[in-house]
Amino acid sequence: MTPAIGPRPLSSLLARGVGFLILWVVLIGTTPINLLIGLAAAAAATWASGLLWPAHGGIDALGLLRFVLRFLPQSIVAGVDVARRAFAPHPMLQPGLVACRTSLPAGTARRAMCALMSLQPGKLPVAVDPDGTLHIHCLDQREPIKEQTAADEAAFCGMLRDGAGHG
Amino acid sequence: MAPADAFTLLFVTAGAILFLAGTLGLLRFPDTLSRLHALSKADNLGLGLIVIGLLPQCDSVTAGLKLVCVWLLAQLSAATASQLIAGAVYRRKSGP
Repeated sequence: MTPAIGPRPLSSLLARGVGFLILWVVLIGTTPINLLIGLAAAAAATWASGLLWPAHGGIDALGLLRFVLRFLPQSIVAGVDVARRAFAPHPMLQPGLVACRTSLPAGTARRAMCALMSLQPGKLPVAVDPDGTLHIHCLDQREPIKEQTAADEAAFCGMLRDGAGHG
Repeated sequence: MAPADAFTLLFVTAGAILFLAGTLGLLRFPDTLSRLHALSKADNLGLGLIVIGLLPQCDSVTAGLKLVCVWLLAQLSAATASQLIAGAVYRRKSGP
């Protein structure tokens, strides 16, 4: 469960801190008192991200773009799919659990994949066994959940720089 | 009506319909895990549509970025919360 923590270059930490500060400025504003609190918040966020983010968990920019271009239309399909079922006179549901295999090791990457998968059509990962069996709740068991899960995992792994997301 | 206002009206209405769908799903779907699907997916798309609809009404780029950040943070929290609730429900069902 504990992510691999290693020494990080100062430039990487600084870049991360600046990113958090920009997020603060966008959300809260630039008055001096807010900026002062923002500096403390950005420092705390950088420290926390150093603990939580795996040491070798790099994100590939092109892979991230490919993932987002796939994720956004899928999110629309997911929302419309739920809306269609909710508005139907008799909700067209055949809910149940489907077991799939995941090749991602336990850790941040696998938890992130499960969280992102829960925003994709018809699937909600609920638990992962120690042997890598993923239990997915689906709204309609007649759909090809295993194939969809494998495609989601492949898209997610394409975003990871080392391809397997250690820790 | 200005095109920007028509755009806003269209997207915010679509977003509101998605929120209605999420609430209907919460009331009509048969079990907790199915209801989580409704909340996490329909509401996120609804919020996204409302954010897109409000973008032309922003008076600065920062205000637009703020809306997009709010949407992204809401997506992140919805995904994380639904994972935690789903895990708790699954553990309770499968027993100690």
